[in-house]
Amino acid sequence: MTMKRGVSLYSYQQSQFFKELDLEAQIREVGQNLGGATGIELIDEMSLHYPDPGPEFLARWHHWMDEYGTRPVAMDVGMDVLQFRDHVMTHRECADRLIHDIRLAKSLGFGIVRTLSVVPIDIMEMALPIAEELDIRLGKEIHQPMRLEGQQVAEIIELADRTGSSHLGIVPDLGIFQFKLSQAQLAWFGRRGAQQSAQDASVELALGIRDGSAPFDHTGLFAHTAGNLRSDFARYLSSGTAPADELSAFEGVKTWTDERVDAPGAIDYTVVAEALMFSHTSADRLRELAPYVTHVHGKFNHMSEVPGRPGQYHDDAIDYPAAIGALKAGGFDGYVNSEYEGQRYWQDRTVDDLQSEVEQVRRHQEMLTRLIAA
Amino acid sequence: MFDNFLIRPDSLRNEVQDGEVIGFTLAVRHANYRGCYLSLHNGYFLEVDGTTYPRSSQTFEVNGREPRSFEALRTAVWEHWDYDDEGLLHVAAPGGLAPGEHIVRLQQSVLAAYGYLPTDEEWVTNPPEPGTGAGSDKTPQIVSYRLTLTEPEMSR
Repeated sequence: MTMKRGVSLYSYQQSQFFKELDLEAQIREVGQNLGGATGIELIDEMSLHYPDPGPEFLARWHHWMDEYGTRPVAMDVGMDVLQFRDHVMTHRECADRLIHDIRLAKSLGFGIVRTLSVVPIDIMEMALPIAEELDIRLGKEIHQPMRLEGQQVAEIIELADRTGSSHLGIVPDLGIFQFKLSQAQLAWFGRRGAQQSAQDASVELALGIRDGSAPFDHTGLFAHTAGNLRSDFARYLSSGTAPADELSAFEGVKTWTDERVDAPGAIDYTVVAEALMFSHTSADRLRELAPYVTHVHGKFNHMSEVPGRPGQYHDDAIDYPAAIGALKAGGFDGYVNSEYEGQRYWQDRTVDDLQSEVEQVRRHQEMLTRLIAA
Repeated sequence: MFDNFLIRPDSLRNEVQDGEVIGFTLAVRHANYRGCYLSLHNGYFLEVDGTTYPRSSQTFEVNGREPRSFEALRTAVWEHWDYDDEGLLHVAAPGGLAPGEHIVRLQQSVLAAYGYLPTDEEWVTNPPEPGTGAGSDKTPQIVSYRLTLTEPEMSR
C-alpha cells in the first residue's frame, strides 16, 4: 500500500468566504481536478451548520461522496473553553463536546477525528470509549512550534500503549518541517512596516537555530502553541514581562534584532521572533512514529515553481522531501491532506492581489504526487 | 485574516425608525474560518471619523433574529454564527452619520482560542475591551476602512 492524497477544505477558506466555492464545489474540485486525490478533511464549524447540520444535509453529503468519488477521511474539531461565559469549561465539559463531535463525524462517515494539539490528554481519554465503540480514531495534531520529540507526542503514545487502543494517534502537521519564513510571509511583514534588515535577520536567525549556531536556547518554547507565543511576545514587547520558560528566548530575539536593525520597531522585533516558531523536529522520529499517524496535514504557505523545472512546484521553506521520505520509510499508507494556509498573507491587499487557493492546492498535489512516487 | 474584507463596502447606512435616524448599521463577516458560538462574540472596537462607539451602543443581528446586545449574546451558548453568514452591526447614534465618505476603524472581538489560556478565569468576570488586541482572534489589529454612506431610502 502507498500513501493516499486528499485535501483539507481549510485550504479553500477564502474561496468560501467570498462565495466562490461552496462546500459541494470544494468537494468537486478535489474529486475531479486533482489527479486521483480522494480524501476529504474538513473543520466541522467551517464547513457544516454546527453543531447539527440536520438530516437533509447528511443525505446530500453522502450523495456528494458517491458522485465525486471522494471519501470522508478526517473531521477537525475545536474546543472553546469560554463557550458558557459564566465559567471556564471543565475537562468533563470539553470531553462532552468532543464526544458530540465524534458522533457527528460518525454520521458523516469519517474515520478520524482530529483534536487540537493543546487538548489535555485526560479529555481524550474520557472520550476514548465512545471513539472505540464507533470505530473513530482520535488524532492529536502536532503543530509547529511543537515537535515530535516533545511531551505532546509522548503522552499520546503512552496512552495508546497503556490502553492498548488502536484508536489513538497523532496528526503531524508538516509545518513542523518549516525552517524559515516563506517569501509570502516575509512580504506580508514588509507591508506592515518590517524593514528589509529585520526580514533578513529573521531568516538568518531561523537558519542559525536550524544548524545549532544561534546564540541562545529556545527549547523551552516547544511546549507552546505559536498563537500563544505570539501573544506572549507582543506582551513582552509592551511590558517587558514574559513567562519564565519564554523570557530568555524573547531577550535573545531582542538582542539579535538590535544588533542587525536600525532603530527597530515592534514589527521588526515581531518578524524576527517568528524564527522562534519553528519546530526543528527530526524526520527520523517521524519514520519511527509512522504506526501512530492517523493522517497527515500537508501544511504549506506558498507553492512556487522549482527553478529550472517547469510544471514542478515546492514550498521552499518546508522540507517536504524529508517528511514524505520518512513517512514512506515508516510504512505509512494513510492520507496526506493538502492544507494551504498562505492565503491569509495576501488579505491585507486588494481583491486582485488575493492568491488562488485552487491553483495553490493543485500545485501542492503535483508535488505530493511526485514525492510519493519518488 | 480577511483584514480588508470584514465590512461589506456598500453596507454603511443610517438606520431610520419611525421617521427618525436612530443610528447606523454595518454588515460584517466573521474573521475566523470556523465562525464561533455566538456567546463568544464580545463586540467591536468601532470608531467613525474619530468618534468611538462603545460596545454598550452596539447590537448584533444574525441568524434571522432581532438585534441583540452583546450582554444578551453571552447567553447564546448553543447558537453558532456560521462562517458563511453576514451579521448586521447596529449602532445607536441619534442623528446618524452625515452623507458622504467616512473613515471606519474596526476590530472584532471573539473569545475563541486554542485550548486553555492563562486569561480564561479573568475573562469570565472581566472580558477584554475590544480594540486592545486581547480577545481579538484572527485579526488582532484595528483595520481602517474608507466607506461611503449608502442613503437610507435604499435600505431594505
